[in-house]
Amino acid sequence: MVRDMVRRGFLLTVLVVVSAVVWASAPWSGSVLADEEEPAQEARQEEAVAVRLYLAEGTVPAEDPTAAAWAEVPVSEFRLSPQVHWPDRLLDATVKSVKVRGLHDGERVAILLEYQDPTEDAADAAALEFMVGDKKAHFAHGQEMLQVEGGPVNIWYWTHASGKAVDMSAKGFGTLKTQTHQDVAAKGVWQDGTWRVVFSRSLETSSKEQDVQILLGEWSNVAFAMWDGKMLESGEPKEKGSQKAVSSWWSLRAEPPADYSVVLYGFLGLVIAALFELAFVKKLKKGQEA
Amino acid sequence: MKGPLLKSALVVIGVIVFLYWVLPLFTAPLPASLIWLYIALTVSSILIFVTMSASSLEAFMGPITRFLTGEGQVGIVRTVRIVFLVLVPFLVGWGTYATLAPSDEPPTENRTIHPAPPGEFVGLSNPLPNTPENITAGQGRYFSLCFPCHGVFDGKGPAAVGFNPPPADFKDSGTIAQLQESFLFWRIKTGGVGLPVEGMPWKSAMPRWEFELSDEEIWKIIMGEYAGSGHKPRTWEEEEEEE
Ligand code: HEC
Repeated sequence: MVRDMVRRGFLLTVLVVVSAVVWASAPWSGSVLADEEEPAQEARQEEAVAVRLYLAEGTVPAEDPTAAAWAEVPVSEFRLSPQVHWPDRLLDATVKSVKVRGLHDGERVAILLEYQDPTEDAADAAALEFMVGDKKAHFAHGQEMLQVEGGPVNIWYWTHASGKAVDMSAKGFGTLKTQTHQDVAAKGVWQDGTWRVVFSRSLETSSKEQDVQILLGEWSNVAFAMWDGKMLESGEPKEKGSQKAVSSWWSLRAEPPADYSVVLYGFLGLVIAALFELAFVKKLKKGQEA
Repeated sequence: MKGPLLKSALVVIGVIVFLYWVLPLFTAPLPASLIWLYIALTVSSILIFVTMSASSLEAFMGPITRFLTGEGQVGIVRTVRIVFLVLVPFLVGWGTYATLAPSDEPPTENRTIHPAPPGEFVGLSNPLPNTPENITAGQGRYFSLCFPCHGVFDGKGPAAVGFNPPPADFKDSGTIAQLQESFLFWRIKTGGVGLPVEGMPWKSAMPRWEFELSDEEIWKIIMGEYAGSGHKPRTWEEEEEEE
């Protein structure tokens, strides 16, 4: 009698523990039972929040912004604001949004920007900005934060006039400078009112203090800026310096190669659970007969 | 009421429904960890209860045992049992996979929208009288400086779209309607970069206006903002009542 009770009690406990584990690890429990979080981008949900640098099948089309390979890469589009955060402000910027595509081959990374600009001008320019190192940096040139110690930003700045990119650093307004070590290449092609500019660099570089290091599978941050260099009657370009189209930070990641070991673990879990279940039911049956 | 098993199931479901859906009607939703604790407590009390005597245990376990062993089952119950037995290992496999699989979603960032202001800004009150002149002056500044991002007090200015988080919507009940004037004074003076780490200052496009506006101008803008949004600032008395 007592033994029977102990046995039943034991089986019951096992049953409860197993169901609790199944319930807690089931994919739905994350969404049902996780703590409520502030929706990260409530107002922006319909738009992209991240740039993914996909693993290229062949070499990365870093030299050619019009290469056919780009057409197959999924695109993320980000809206831009005229720069009204800081003087000198601009109330209406030409470029309203930018389409971004990215590829890497484990060595080099290429990021393609595509945006509308009705006129091709020598002073047209585009830039990518990244945080460098572990410290967070404000998206406006890593400007000083009052309660948080910030880090530097790395800016890849392409100008049509020069036909190339400059690798730059900043930590605060007025600190923007060209790096001594240049690692970034860029090429832009203007066609029918659209700029296509491809930036490229090796995923990692030797100057870790100044350059963003793009590590496979790790999320980092990216921001965008474009200048419409159309000449005004005053002889000045419409946009230059702080007068530009900008975004704040969005996420960026170089996709790692697929990892199949996890599928294996899942399968292992299935097998163990099935064996356990068989044994359990068998034991119950035995108990019933007794 | 049939068997103790059904009763226990109903109790657990009742507790879950209460904690998740009924309680939040009256107070703030409980954190998930606390809900888990309550559910665990309920389940263990039930277990203690049913294991008190051999007969209650038998009454509780009997249906489970019979279902799992398939004793004398026919028709639909038989099918349900087989589906159940097949499904459980798959769920475990799937669960293992889902737990181990590296997420490829961007990190969700839990930004605190209204963190505590630094001490020197707590309890300040607007030194200027709430007159139509001050409001008009404040709104004049508002429309030239703040409108590009915050729009007509609705957060939908022409320059708002590139920024994440988006500029605050002052008409919404979750922004300045919940705040005291001193909080706004802090936020306008020091901007996004004045936020503590939980406010994620590096993401905010809110300018640090202390470089461009005097304190007096900021107080006027605050008056203009409340008048324009149709909300009233919270006061100290309200704050005390809540605590
Ligand atoms: C460049 C765009 C921009 C401009 C211009 C701007 N803001 Fe903001 N503001 C933001 C953003 C983005 C936020 C939300 C992020 C944050 O809280 O820092 C914000 C938040 C705020 C908040 C906090 C609201 C809350 O619920 O916590 C106040 C108050 C505010 N702004 C007032 C102003 C005033 C007054 C002006 C003009 C003097 C102004 N802003 C100009 C972008 C802007």
